[in-house]
Amino acid sequence: MTVSSVIPPLTLRLAPEGGAAPVRPEPALSGGPTEPLRDVVPSFVPKPLPGAAPASEPFESVLDRLVGEVQARQTAAQEAVQGLLSGQGVPLHQAMIALEEAQVSFQLMVEVRNRLLEAYQELMRMQV
Amino acid sequence: MVELLPGVQSTASALTAERIRMDVIAQNIANINTTRGLDGKPYQRQRVVFQTILNQRLAADPGATPQPVRVARIEPDPRPPKLVYDPGHPDANAEGFVAFPDINLHQEMVDLIAASRAFEANLAVLKNARSMALQTLSIGKRT
Repeated sequence: MTVSSVIPPLTLRLAPEGGAAPVRPEPALSGGPTEPLRDVVPSFVPKPLPGAAPASEPFESVLDRLVGEVQARQTAAQEAVQGLLSGQGVPLHQAMIALEEAQVSFQLMVEVRNRLLEAYQELMRMQV
Repeated sequence: MVELLPGVQSTASALTAERIRMDVIAQNIANINTTRGLDGKPYQRQRVVFQTILNQRLAADPGATPQPVRVARIEPDPRPPKLVYDPGHPDANAEGFVAFPDINLHQEMVDLIAASRAFEANLAVLKNARSMALQTLSIGKRT
């Protein structure tokens, strides 16, 4: 299961008109305190380590996708700010949220790069 | 795209909704003395009705998905206009009464404060979500 299938994409616009008001189902009261907690959001289950078997996706392409994602967020933030300044009806908070997300994703990319570099330097220091 | 900031979808929708509420309150205050609205009648006070949006993508279990908010509609307040005796006014009727919108400025100010506080509360959620995300990124960091 990929993460993107669990978490909905960011939609900042109001949903179109129509659709009945959602009704939250009443929680079952018959269970009692010993009933296990319902798994509200499917929790992240790490896959077993593949060992010597080749990974399904090379790490290189994972990195590539990460950089692409960061780039997409930067572009989205830029578009939001431009839409705000050119009077296209983008509210201030949406532009700020887009900037914030761009920053957090960039930070994530920097952290991944730092770990990679650390691992590399660790290897290079290894005594032979 | 992956959602990096927790709860940002609901918060963003609430901020948009509160902005619209502020717009409507500003419109009410601005038109407090309007005797001739778009339809020729005195301005009618408007009010905002909020509604929860069901996330269409994960609608299978509505209890387990974030439920953002939106403005369902802006509806007029049915209060009748108040009549003020002012025979010199161009919109006065045959008896010399002018129909003014029945807007209570105090009530509008209270609504304005409530809307701005609700906006602030949502901003606080966003601020916390941001610091949570940045703190999570510092897991395992060797200072």
